[in-house]
Amino acid sequence: MSVRVRIPTVFRKYTDQQSLVEVDSGTLSSVVDQLESRYPGIKGQLLSSDGELHRFVNVYVNDEDVRYLGKLETKADDGDEVSLLPSVAGG
Amino acid sequence: MSEHLKIPQAIADEMVAHCLESRPNEACGVLANEGAALVKVFRMRNASASPLRYSLDPREQLAVYRKLDDEGWDLAGVFHSHTRTEAYPSPTDVRLASEDVPYLIVSLASAAPDIRAFRIRKESWGAEEGEIEELDVTLGD
Repeated sequence: MSVRVRIPTVFRKYTDQQSLVEVDSGTLSSVVDQLESRYPGIKGQLLSSDGELHRFVNVYVNDEDVRYLGKLETKADDGDEVSLLPSVAGG
Repeated sequence: MSEHLKIPQAIADEMVAHCLESRPNEACGVLANEGAALVKVFRMRNASASPLRYSLDPREQLAVYRKLDDEGWDLAGVFHSHTRTEAYPSPTDVRLASEDVPYLIVSLASAAPDIRAFRIRKESWGAEEGEIEELDVTLGD
């Protein structure tokens, strides 16, 4: 068992075009670090310079927005799914 | 040579219908392709509910992106309407562009809706400035 991470189109250039990546369970911070060790550069896309989630990215663990859970300390357990979503907006 | 985007008439008609039905607010949604062909319009809710702004509802976006993966489709584009201005990216469109796919704009400013498509290229994801490149769009089957 592991955690499945759904990678949106905009980040697939970092993941060899993989749309689904499996990592070990842990906090979202640990998930991001595991992604970075495998796909260098992706962490800088997900986090802003202050180390928090970039304001243009929404992250869900299963169906819950981590901003309303524990943000980067949100736990992703075996069998959970983490979805990274770019915020899509304009005028 | 500019990038080319072929939009089947049924796809164009559905985008325009969603935009007309959403007036006076801007409409938004995404397009899916299978291989090189556009196959699906996802009509989505404008979470901003505004005639001047649009934003996808992240929860609906999550469901749509899961559907794309489940169907083996790819995200082919993001579309939205301009209800009173031309089909060209506004400064806000450039500032908030985040997806690495064509952005389509449907203008309802004239009696005949106008569809144009653009790439908004940025030095880094999340940058607030970007270069606009227009795609060569053809409508029809």
